[in-house]
Amino acid sequence: MVGLQFAKPVDKPEEYRHVFVYLENGQGRLKRVALEMIGIGRELATKVNEELVGILIGDDISAMAEEAVSYGCDRVLGAQSKDLKDFRTVPYANLVGEFVMSEKPNVFLIPATRNGRDLASRIAVKCQAGVTADCTELDIEKDTRILSARRPTYGESMLAEILCRKHRPQMATARAGIFKVPEKVGGKPSGKIDIKNVKIDKKYLNKKIIEFRKKDRVDLTAADIVVSGGLGLGGPAGFKMLEQLAGEVGGVVGASRPTADLGWISRDHQVGQTGTTVRPKLYVAAGISGKIQHIMGMKGSETIIAINTDPNAEIVKYSDYFINADINKAIPAIIDAVKKYRTELAGGKKTKTPSQ
Amino acid sequence: MVLEIVVMVKQVPDSQEVVIDPVTMNLNRSMTRNVTNRADENALEAALQIKDKVPANITIVSMGPPQAETTMIECLARGADRAVLVSDRAFGGADTYPTGLTVASAISKLDHFDIIIAGEESSDSSTGHVGPGVAEFLGIDQITYCSKIEFSDGRVTAERELEDGTEVVQCPTPVLVTMLLGSNFPRMQTLRRKIDATKKGIEVWNLEKLGLQPEWVGVRGSPTIVRRMQSIKERERAKKPVTLEAIPDMVKELYEKNILKVK
Ligand SMILES: Cc1cc2nc3c(=O)[nH]c(=O)nc-3n(C[C@H](O)[C@H](O)[C@H](O)COP(=O)(O)OP(=O)(O)OC[C@H]3O[C@@H](n4cnc5c(N)ncnc54)[C@H](O)[C@@H]3O)c2cc1C
Ligand SMILES: Nc1ncnc2c1ncn2[C@@H]1O[C@H](COP(=O)(O)O)[C@@H](O)[C@H]1O
Repeated sequence: MVGLQFAKPVDKPEEYRHVFVYLENGQGRLKRVALEMIGIGRELATKVNEELVGILIGDDISAMAEEAVSYGCDRVLGAQSKDLKDFRTVPYANLVGEFVMSEKPNVFLIPATRNGRDLASRIAVKCQAGVTADCTELDIEKDTRILSARRPTYGESMLAEILCRKHRPQMATARAGIFKVPEKVGGKPSGKIDIKNVKIDKKYLNKKIIEFRKKDRVDLTAADIVVSGGLGLGGPAGFKMLEQLAGEVGGVVGASRPTADLGWISRDHQVGQTGTTVRPKLYVAAGISGKIQHIMGMKGSETIIAINTDPNAEIVKYSDYFINADINKAIPAIIDAVKKYRTELAGGKKTKTPSQ
Repeated sequence: MVLEIVVMVKQVPDSQEVVIDPVTMNLNRSMTRNVTNRADENALEAALQIKDKVPANITIVSMGPPQAETTMIECLARGADRAVLVSDRAFGGADTYPTGLTVASAISKLDHFDIIIAGEESSDSSTGHVGPGVAEFLGIDQITYCSKIEFSDGRVTAERELEDGTEVVQCPTPVLVTMLLGSNFPRMQTLRRKIDATKKGIEVWNLEKLGLQPEWVGVRGSPTIVRRMQSIKERERAKKPVTLEAIPDMVKELYEKNILKVK
């Protein structure tokens, strides 16, 4: 136990070096978000000419460590034990805390996933350091090696730039789905892997995981195309139509909150302030009025198509294309057009073979 | 034995009517109404549901300015037994570290606690870091992002909602739990309780009572500083009107711009 200690500035910040990232373990495979941390971590490390080091905790982790190295980690520090198979706050935080305190990183990034956030502020308290939550932009100043951590605030309307000048490591949790997964490094990766087998004291294993009910939750953040529906769909059957369109274009179905409240679709499809934040290439808002809580979750999308019978709906302001029509006509028309376009392509016009 | 439950509650500006000062880019607090953080109402309701089944005592702990009293009264009127408002000028401007430290110090000054319940996050800072920070300061285990909790035989059984599924966990007390926004339906305040609460009043603890140094708390004790606030520029979008007849043209354009792809 750390006790009631205050946040302590470090005497010699120059002694703290390298960019560390926490590699979230998806039981046997690195989570996609771990690769995103490697991606942004690599950018920061390269800019200040330092190493990128991954921290990995779990059971039987060597394959994941190799995967991390293949994506660009210069070093992977791991701790493994049968007792670490599932994420559990106390033993994980203890081990990560030990690595961080002995290795003294300048920067330490943790994904802002639920387990990542569960861990992050405990590590910050252990290190008597600061942590900036849920960053969407990260940069580092070349000469001072000060991390510029930026996060949306006040309902995603403002971006706050937050610094931590005197404490080390400079910690941040980084939002999933924002940072790019890097290319694998070519040739034989040269990163070093250092995994220790650890024994976990029983007193840290009070929390027992008795069951995990995997849900085939849609991963809205990973999708390039999100086709969302709102109350304008008129009922659960409307979502069938959207599923058809999503299936046709390789997207997933999203939803406004009241449709989930009414049970037309499960909660994990909900986009918005109290749902998921998405920024796909294409977002279709069908029968969604565009209330601020919904807008907050999708306004970062590259292209937005709004379909609404009300020409004065808020959503129109946020649209690149606005179809002022009934969903029941517009959606089938889009499905139709997609199919026709594809058959036309397949049917001979070989001069326009699309590249992958 | 009476179970001692602590609920961590924060008063926040009403997100429905947030006003941002166009000059300073700060929240204009004088123009916004303050409300109880909604996830914390779910935290209190979770505590009350435990109390419905076993003998329990519920203490509200909040760090905030004097006007947070209204939130404390509200919590008492919903059924909490005791309210401690941790309030001192020195606490102003705290980031998550000193907030956790201050709240944890206050909790450690209570005679005893078995379960601490917080909200998943506050609507104004939305970090979700204060709850786990408090657990670390107090050296206890935690169960975050719960949709459901139950207490029996000295253990909390909870369902945690993760990105890819639901985890059912069990942990003996003492433990800190954080409840998801909307995880239950907070009960109403009763007028009778409200009158009682106003009479009973709330305890206000200051820096001295907690025995903390002024440089450990508030803005001075915060490792992070806000360097800049920028408004996120809304990209002006084309809002191109598309008639039903023009949908094939739009689809063609989307393919040509590589927004839609032929697999
Ligand atoms: C604290 C809080 C958090 C919230 N979080 C979220 C959140 O995360 N996500 C979210 O989505 N909401 C959230 N909300 C709710 C939000 O304020 C709105 O109530 C909600 O987004 C509205 O949903 P909607 O657009 O589906 O419904 P409505 O506002 O009822 O809009 C329906 C639209 O469909 C159009 N329409 C009707 N029939 C047709 C038709 N046949 N063809 C085409 N168009 C049609 C109408 O013109 C209208 O514009 C939150 C609210 C609060 C208070
Ligand atoms: N000032 C405070 N006083 C008491 N509890 C707080 C305070 N700030 C945050 N909390 C608790 O910590 C949770 C997470 O808040 P945050 O880390 O700010 O997102 C909230 O839902 C509250 O339960």
